[in-house]
Amino acid sequence: MIENLNSDKKLSRRDFLNYVLGFGFFGWLAATIYPLYLYLKPPKAPEVDVKNLKIGNVNEIEKNSSKMFKFGNKPGILVRSAEGDFKAFDATCTHLDCTVQYKKEEGLIWCACHNGRYDLNGKNVSGPPPRPLTPISITIQKDEIFVSK
Amino acid sequence: MKYSFYFLTAILIIFIMCNKDFFAQQKDLPESKDQCLNCHSILDGKFKAPAMSYRSDVHFRKGLACSSCHGGDSKNDDQEKAMNKSAGFIGVPKGSQVSRICAKCHAEKFTALQNSVHGESSTGNGQIINSCITCHGVHNIVPVKSPSSRVNGSNIVNTCAGCHSNAAYMKNYNPEISVDMLEKYKTSMHGKKVFSGDSKPANCASCHGSHDVKKVNNPQSSVYFSNIPKTCNKCHGNAEYMKEYNIPTDQFEKYSTSVHGIALLEKGDKNAPSCNKCHGDHGAAPPEIESISKVCGTCHVLNSQMFQESPHKQAFTDKGLHECGVCHNNHDVHQPSDDMIGTGEKSVCIRCHKAGDKGFESAFIMKKMIDSLNNDVKTANNLIREAEQKGMDVSDSKFDNNDIKKVLITSRTVIHYANLDKYLETIGEGFKITNKAKLTGKEAVDDYYNRRIYLGISTLFITILAIALYMKLRKINKKKVEH
Amino acid sequence: MFSLKKIFNWLDVRLRIGDLVSFMKKKEVPLYYGTIWYYFGGIALLLFIVQVVTGMLLLLYYKGSADLSFESVQFISAKVKFGWLIRSIHSWSANLMVLAVMVHMFSVFFTKAYRKPRELSWYSGFILLCLVFAFGFTGYLLPWNELSFFATKVGTDIIKVVPLVGNFFMNIMRGGEEVTGATLSRFFGFHVAFLPGIFTVVIAIHLILIQRQGMAAPENWDELPDLQKKRIPFFPNFLLRDLLLWLLIINILCILAVFFPWELGMKANELAPAPAGIKPEWYFLFMFQTLKFIPAKMLFIDGEVLGVLMFSVAGLFWFLVPLWDRKTKVGKKGYWLTYIGIFVVIYILVFTIIGFIM
Repeated sequence: MIENLNSDKKLSRRDFLNYVLGFGFFGWLAATIYPLYLYLKPPKAPEVDVKNLKIGNVNEIEKNSSKMFKFGNKPGILVRSAEGDFKAFDATCTHLDCTVQYKKEEGLIWCACHNGRYDLNGKNVSGPPPRPLTPISITIQKDEIFVSK
Repeated sequence: MKYSFYFLTAILIIFIMCNKDFFAQQKDLPESKDQCLNCHSILDGKFKAPAMSYRSDVHFRKGLACSSCHGGDSKNDDQEKAMNKSAGFIGVPKGSQVSRICAKCHAEKFTALQNSVHGESSTGNGQIINSCITCHGVHNIVPVKSPSSRVNGSNIVNTCAGCHSNAAYMKNYNPEISVDMLEKYKTSMHGKKVFSGDSKPANCASCHGSHDVKKVNNPQSSVYFSNIPKTCNKCHGNAEYMKEYNIPTDQFEKYSTSVHGIALLEKGDKNAPSCNKCHGDHGAAPPEIESISKVCGTCHVLNSQMFQESPHKQAFTDKGLHECGVCHNNHDVHQPSDDMIGTGEKSVCIRCHKAGDKGFESAFIMKKMIDSLNNDVKTANNLIREAEQKGMDVSDSKFDNNDIKKVLITSRTVIHYANLDKYLETIGEGFKITNKAKLTGKEAVDDYYNRRIYLGISTLFITILAIALYMKLRKINKKKVEH
Repeated sequence: MFSLKKIFNWLDVRLRIGDLVSFMKKKEVPLYYGTIWYYFGGIALLLFIVQVVTGMLLLLYYKGSADLSFESVQFISAKVKFGWLIRSIHSWSANLMVLAVMVHMFSVFFTKAYRKPRELSWYSGFILLCLVFAFGFTGYLLPWNELSFFATKVGTDIIKVVPLVGNFFMNIMRGGEEVTGATLSRFFGFHVAFLPGIFTVVIAIHLILIQRQGMAAPENWDELPDLQKKRIPFFPNFLLRDLLLWLLIINILCILAVFFPWELGMKANELAPAPAGIKPEWYFLFMFQTLKFIPAKMLFIDGEVLGVLMFSVAGLFWFLVPLWDRKTKVGKKGYWLTYIGIFVVIYILVFTIIGFIM
C-alpha cells in the first residue's frame, strides 16, 4: 500500500518534472525561434546599398517639377525640366549646407537660406554659393529612374 | 634835319613798343644763356610756341636748357652747330622716346609708369599709351601743387577723363572698361567738393595712384578689393586731414572688427563688401536713408525684401532711422545673435518698443520660441549622444540635423518681416524635427534597456529549464544507482 | 501513435542502426576529478554549431565587397531585428571557441589521451585547431573595419618572411601584393565555403574516431581497483550534463552579447597609416609578441624568419607528440612531457598578457 502511494507520488513528481521540462524546452524553443523569425523578416529600412537607388517612375514626375530623395545619408534632388529631361544633384547647398529646392516659377534650383541660385546644370549663378552642386548620375531603365554615385 | 631825327626816333620807339616782348626776353634771359630759347623765341608759329611757354616751365626755372631734353648745344647760337646730331641733337622725340628722356632725371617715376597699366598696355610699335607728357603737358610743366598744373588736385580729374571718358578711344585698349567715371564722380561728395575748388578730397590719383596705376584685379593695385579699405582710410582715417568736414574718422577701425571686414581683410573673401560696394567708388556718397535696406539688399536679398514689406519700413522712414543700420550698425556689423531678439538687455527691439505695445509682446514671444527650439535641439542631441554611446545606431537622426540648421537660419531671416504669424509658422517646422529626433533618441535608449529586459526574461526561462534538467539528471543518476 | 519505439524500428529496418545503438549504449565516461575536462570537446562542438547557425543567418544580410561589407555589418547591427544579437553572438562564440579548443587540446595533452590507440584523434584534432585559427583569421577581416584591416595586413606580412615560398603564399592569401578588396573576397570564400567544408569532414572523422574508441581513461586508470573505477554511461547521463552545460553556455553568449556588444569601429581606409599599437586578436598575440622580442637579426638569419621557423618547428613537435611520447606508450609516467606542456601553457599565458599590456 505504502509502496503504491510512494510510487504514485513518485509518478506525479516525475510527471511534474517532465511537464516542467517539456514546458521549459518549448519555452526555450519559442524564445529562440521568435527572434529568428524577426531576424529573417526583411527590415523596413532602406537597403544598405547606397551606390544605386531607385527613386521612382518616369511617369510619376511631371515636367517642371522636382522630387527630393535620401541618398545614403545625404539629401538629393531630382529635377525634371520643362523640356522633360531629368537631372539629379546632391541637394546640399555649397554655401552653408542648407537643403536646396526647385523653384518652378524660375526654372532654377534655389536655396532658401541665403537666396543662392543654381541653374539646371548645377552651376551656381547667383548669391553666395561658391561652387556648383555635385551632380548625381541618373540611369533610366524601363521607365524606372535610378541614381548612382 | 631836326624833324627827321625825331621821326626816326618815333619809329624806333614804335618799333621797340611793337616788339617789346622781344626786347623784354632779351632782358629776362637767365644765366644759362640758352641760345635755343633765344632763337626760337623770335621764330614763328609752331617753332615759337614751345619757347614762349617754356619760360613758365618749372624746368626752365630750375635752369634746364632746351638741350637737356632735345640734345644739341644750347650755348651755340649757330643753328648748324647747335642742332647738330654730333652734338646730340635728337629733334622732336617720338613715342616712348619722350618718356625715356624724362627718365634721365625722373627715373623712378618712369619705371613706375612702365610697370603700370598705362605702360603695359602699349600697342605694338613700342608705344606707351601714356608718356609723361600726356598727363603733365610739355614745355609748360608746373609743380603739381600749382593751381595751373594739369595734375593738381583740382585739375587731374579732367586730365584723366581726357582719355577715360572717351569711349571711342578707350575701345582701342579695353572695350569693357566703363567711361562714365567722370559723370559718376560729379555726383559724388568728392567730386562736388573738388569741382567747387577744394583740392583736398579724393581725385583719380588719390585712389588709383599716379604713375603706378595698376589694373583693379591686380593684387598690387591700391584699389584691389582687399586694399580698398586701407586706401579709403588714408584720408578718412586721418582726423587731422578730415577736421573741416565733420564726419567720423573711425570707419576703418569699426569695419575691421565687423563680419564684412574680417571676411574681406582676414579671410580674403571676394564677395565681402568693402567701402565701394555700399558707398560706390567713383560716385562715392553715403546711401540715402530710405535706400540703405536696398543697398544691403543687393546681397542680403531676403532680409531686405522682408524688411521692406514689414511695418518697420514706414516707421523707420518717418523717424528718419537708418533702416538696417539701426539694429545692425553700419560699419561695425557684427555676427547677429539670438539675444538681439526679444526683450532682454541685449535686444534691439526694446530700443523703440516699450512694455505693453504689440511689438514688445511679439518680440517676447519670438525670443521664447527660438530659445525653446535651441533647447529642444540640445535635448535631442543629448539623447542621441547617449544612445550612440550605448552603442545604438543613430545615423538617421544625425541626418535631420541639417534640416534644423535650415529652420534656424530661415527663422532668423523671417524675423525681418516683423510679423509674428510668419515667424511662428517657420519656427514650428523646427519643433517637428526636434520632436522626431527626440523620439528616435529616446527609442534608441529604450531599446538599449529593453534588450536587458528581454535577456532577463529569457535567462529566467533558461534557468527554469536548467533546473528542471538538473533535477532530471539527478533522478536518472539515482535510478542507475538504484539499479 | 508516434512512439520512439516505432520511429526506431522504422529507421532500423532501413539503416540497420541496431548495432550502432547498442554499441553507443555501452559508451561510458570515467568519473574522477578530471571528468570536467571531458566537457570541453563538447563545448567546442557546440560553439562550432552556434557559429554555423549564426554564420548562416549573417550570410543572409552580409555583403562581401569592400564598399559594402562595413555598411552591411552596420546594417545588421542596427536595422535588422536581433541582428545585433546574432552578430555579437557570432563574434563572442568565435573567441570562446578558440579558447575551448585550446583548453580541450591541453586537457587531452596533460591526460595523455593521445596515447595509442588514439593518435589519429590527436592528429585530426591538431588539424582542427589549425582550421579554427584559420577561421578566426579569415573571419576577423570580414567587417572590413580599421582594426581588422590592419591586423590582417600585419598578419599576412609575417607569411612573407618564410623563405622561398613565403611571397607566393602571401600573394595567394592576399589575392595580390597588398590587402585589398580582393583579399576580402578570398577570405570570405575561405571563411564560408572552403574552411567549413574541410572542417566538417575532419570533425566527422574526429567524432567517429572518438565514438569508436570510447572515452580515454586517465593514465593510472588501469591501476585502480574496480570499485574506484567509477563510470557513468554517456547516454543519457553524460549527454544530459552536456546539454545542461550547453544550455548555460548559450545563455552566457546572450548575456555577453547584451552587456558586452561587439564593436564595429570605423570603416577601413586603405590609404590611412596603421593606428599605433595595432595587434592581432588575442589568440595570435603570443606569437606576435614573441616575434617582437626576437632581435632583428641573429647571426645571419632575419629575426622574423627565425621566429616563424621556431613556431613551425614547435608546431610540428606538438603535432607529433604521440610519436615522441615513448614513456606512456609503455604505460610509464611521462613527466618530461608534462613539464613541457606546463612550460608551453605558461609561455602562452605570459606572452599573451605581455601582448595586452604593451
